[in-house]
Amino acid sequence: MALAPDVTEIVFALSAADRLVAVAETADYPAAASRLPRVDSTSVEAILAHHPDLVLATTAGNDPRTVSLLSSLGIRTCTVDPSSLERIAEGFRLIAEVLGIPDRGGELADSFRRRVQAASSRVRALTPKGGLYIVWWEPLIVAGPGTFHHDLLAAAGIVNLAPGGAGRYPRLNPELLLDHRLEVVVVPDDEDSRTGFARVAAAPVGRRLTSGQVALLWLPADPASRPGPRVADALEELVEKRLAGELALARPLNQGFVPRLSTPGASVP
Amino acid sequence: MTRAADALLLVALSATILLALLAGGPALTAADAARVLRGEGTEEAAVVVFHLRLPRLLLALAVGAALAMAGAALQSLLANPLADPFLLGISGGGAASATMAFAFLPMASLGLVPAAAIAGSAVATALVWWMASGPLGPSPTRMILAGVAVNAAASAVILVVLAATPSPRLPGALAVTMGSFAGATPGAVLWLLPYLVPPVAVLFHYGRDLGLLATGEESAATLGVDVGVVRRRVFLAAAALSGGAVAFAGIIGFVGLITPHLCRLVWGHSLRRLLPRAALAGALLCAAGDHLARVLLAPTEIPVGVITAALGVPFFVALLRRSA
Repeated sequence: MALAPDVTEIVFALSAADRLVAVAETADYPAAASRLPRVDSTSVEAILAHHPDLVLATTAGNDPRTVSLLSSLGIRTCTVDPSSLERIAEGFRLIAEVLGIPDRGGELADSFRRRVQAASSRVRALTPKGGLYIVWWEPLIVAGPGTFHHDLLAAAGIVNLAPGGAGRYPRLNPELLLDHRLEVVVVPDDEDSRTGFARVAAAPVGRRLTSGQVALLWLPADPASRPGPRVADALEELVEKRLAGELALARPLNQGFVPRLSTPGASVP
Repeated sequence: MTRAADALLLVALSATILLALLAGGPALTAADAARVLRGEGTEEAAVVVFHLRLPRLLLALAVGAALAMAGAALQSLLANPLADPFLLGISGGGAASATMAFAFLPMASLGLVPAAAIAGSAVATALVWWMASGPLGPSPTRMILAGVAVNAAASAVILVVLAATPSPRLPGALAVTMGSFAGATPGAVLWLLPYLVPPVAVLFHYGRDLGLLATGEESAATLGVDVGVVRRRVFLAAAALSGGAVAFAGIIGFVGLITPHLCRLVWGHSLRRLLPRAALAGALLCAAGDHLARVLLAPTEIPVGVITAALGVPFFVALLRRSA
């Protein structure tokens, strides 16, 4: 049983979907996952009703108390921690191992790593740009260091302006959207984000976003938000957009990138 | 002593206002912001100072003043040192309603969150009044017990809503319950005025009566105070102040509870003397708290309630120990 949509995707990518007796209510990819029985991943009783002999969970969305209660009831559990691109790949290997198909896990992880490296090498020659991965517009919540989104930005040649030491998804001062260091904003493309952006764009704080001084890169929401195999798709798309943006820029719009990222109260030079 | 305290309060408030405009965020250096204040800055810098920092500062000042005055009035009205907008469930009702609106309204309608908070505070206020009303009218003890019950219900609603919030909206919904001035716009400050000006007029009008009520219901009645009318109007005024505050800034704890006590320790118990000082001290606490919330881990924001509590509580304990 898989308690999260990204873990479900990993099981499908390992061609082991026949082992799934139920998936989380939010699992909708691939389409075949939607046809499997659904389970409320917060309810131990609902999980037990499916008599799983192995429960797959993630630190990015499952309650560790639920998993440890299942363990204490004698059910085998496996939790992946997708807090970086490398850990996502490691999660493929771990899940494959507990499913008894370690070779497939190794292949999937290697293929994922190769795709990340290939995408990242395409932007290596470009000047790094300061950017943010927007989780929510109002209040401004972004992905910080210690998340796979941070790695996603780095692999696309974008230096995350979110500071470390303030949680994985810190809430930032919206003034940062007017900071000259901000050159790229990466956003998952869903209805909430589009509407949130429209509200911010109409306000004074959105001036740099709407004036073309900041490149706004929309990524398909699920691949970019779910730490599964499709993160490689999201990265490849991000790199494509980054390269397209470089070609489109006939002249630099900003005064240059100043990498003073983790200095509290850092100001514009 | 009190004149010196008055002067100190005004100096601290002025310094905080200047600091908040000069060094309020990552987009502008203090020197650039100072140029804007002298009328010499670029248009872009002026946007930061006048469209971002100024509304945020004004909202913090207004909300701080509103919470502190509401707390001062409720403590006198109910003759209870623990009374404040939170104990009486008014803020909780507003926050529960705002969280619900944030979690489930379509994104395009999120502008209605403050209206939902106002409605939630109004419902909580009506519930407290109704629950506390007996054949002899609402007594202070019954009002506090009713407030505690409404507050508990509001907390339960918030937890249920957070549990049911779609995961992409969860960080934002949590932020609503934590309190912040980050979403301030000039419009929000204007919208707050109807919840600020008439209630303040009511509190000043009944300042003397409230002072008498704080000494006891019966003695106030014998001195000509119409206890029922004063209680109803002052409670409504305090509820409007609290509802307005929670609508535009979320839950900001301790300001309504601690500021009035702090001011009483310095300026005494007269409501007419206390209310304006409590308003200024509450404004100072919120503005200074918001400034620190922005700069301590900049550009990360710390929930402002954490800062107001961290600033207010030790100061309050020190004053309490000194006056004991």
